[in-house]
Amino acid sequence: MAAIEKLPLVSDGVKARTQVAGGDVVRTAIIGLALVLFFLPLVASAAFGFTLPGQGISFEPLRDALAGTDIATQLMNTAKLAVLSTIGSLVLLVPTLLFLHLKAPNLLRFTEWLSVIPYVVPAIALVAGANLFFRQAAPGFMVSLYSLVPFYMVLTLPLVYRSLDAGIRSIDLRTLWAASESLGAKPWQTLWQVVLPNLRGSLLGASLLSCAMVLGEYAVAALLLHSTFPVFMVQVGMNQPRAAAALSFITILVTWLLLALLSRDSAPKTTSKGGPR
Amino acid sequence: MTLNSTLQRVSWRGLRQRGLPGWVGALPLLMFLALFLILPIAANVVTSFWVNGAFSFSAMAQLLEPQYLDAFIQTFNLSLLTAAVGGVLGLLLAWALATGRKPAWLQNLVLSFSAVASQMGGVALAFAFIATLGVQGFATQAILGLTGWDLSQDIQLASFSGLALVYLYFQIPLMAILMLPAFGALKKQWQEAANSLGASRLRYLLDIALPIMWPSIAGSLLLLFANSFGAYATAYALAGGRVNLVPILIGFFISGDVMNDESFAAALVTGMVVVVVAAMGLRSLAERKANRWLR
Repeated sequence: MAAIEKLPLVSDGVKARTQVAGGDVVRTAIIGLALVLFFLPLVASAAFGFTLPGQGISFEPLRDALAGTDIATQLMNTAKLAVLSTIGSLVLLVPTLLFLHLKAPNLLRFTEWLSVIPYVVPAIALVAGANLFFRQAAPGFMVSLYSLVPFYMVLTLPLVYRSLDAGIRSIDLRTLWAASESLGAKPWQTLWQVVLPNLRGSLLGASLLSCAMVLGEYAVAALLLHSTFPVFMVQVGMNQPRAAAALSFITILVTWLLLALLSRDSAPKTTSKGGPR
Repeated sequence: MTLNSTLQRVSWRGLRQRGLPGWVGALPLLMFLALFLILPIAANVVTSFWVNGAFSFSAMAQLLEPQYLDAFIQTFNLSLLTAAVGGVLGLLLAWALATGRKPAWLQNLVLSFSAVASQMGGVALAFAFIATLGVQGFATQAILGLTGWDLSQDIQLASFSGLALVYLYFQIPLMAILMLPAFGALKKQWQEAANSLGASRLRYLLDIALPIMWPSIAGSLLLLFANSFGAYATAYALAGGRVNLVPILIGFFISGDVMNDESFAAALVTGMVVVVVAAMGLRSLAERKANRWLR
């Protein structure tokens, strides 16, 4: 790459002005190149998935692949899993984190360390262990589609935990709680009417991250023999690459939208609320 | 609010403070993780040392058989290669994103896409690459039409180098995202001070920037390594059984496509977890060192 060679060359202090301009060109070139390379597979999958040779734009590959399948069921499965895993994570983590921040801040370091473990254990190892353990401990459990929910909660834990923890740190929880209590609010009123509205941004961020991850999860679902949308995509891809490309394009686009929503929503929050601590 | 009820509430609060120690709040999370993360992994580790009802190293020793050792070597090489190449290119991208100023919309677009691409992996990425570089792919056909070179003959996606190429798609942006804070921590004054003392930019880079940044660089490289060592979906969707990788082998064992030896399957997983945990352990050491400068 040409950029590497240019970097050490511009080292002459006298030519400071041309140096800056030259560096800018290199940087813009790198970013531009990255943009093109990032987008190439995206553009290609749209072009490949929504055309037929000699016919131009066509939805036929996708329609043919979807005809006679139960894609609606599989999409619904993925949607259900996304919603349930997200709700599950929030119900488990929000009260836990609030309690710890209020009553036992010294435990936060330990729980944060715990929350990173799923980052260290690859999904495939988790499936293998879960398969081994639950087949002996509770054979009926893995049959249900909903048995995936706790594992998705585990896989998304590092991201969701961080997002919620950062949100709680950015508000002055103790002061809010004490103020609300001194005005006579019951704990659940404080939680519902004061704390949660203040955490809206990080709740939404955590939910979007969780949904985006569940949308693309393949290893756990496939190996535990549940049919979700990514599993369907691989089945289609075995003999209909055009339809698979079209579905991939849609998946990537939706993921991006979810995460773009996240960064747009959280950007002003972090700047306006980053101050207190 | 009557005085009485206030008193009641205060005493109730006092009671809760005394009666409920802090660790009770962490209990649901602890129990959840114990059941769905720790116990499964522990069961797996135990099984890999438990052959035919007795403690034994025989399953772990089987990992050294040529076919399985080869899988570990291939996975190791793939992770090393994509971490190294992805690391260098990602570092370059992070530098451009952290220090470049114009045009802002381009910076933001690439930044937001890096965040998405770094988490992508998975089957969607595999099919997007088949659509790009496969035999009928978009780029393959365009280049064939322009130059007459059929690149799908030389770059086979279902091969070691093909997988490496696809992994770079998430490794480069991941490295960039991980390194951005480290670039932010480089104070402008340090460079000005170095320049005023007559240091060239190369000298500044070698004597100041790199020594400060190497713990973050090493830590990020280790994460990249672990990231690709455990990757399953992309490899499976692209190559299936055509590349001998540990995650793919484990997948075959779980779905029962190959002989049903529970202990050995568990041993494969234990082997992989050991490698990944070692990489991540080293990473946390590197991170501790890096944090000294990030404040």
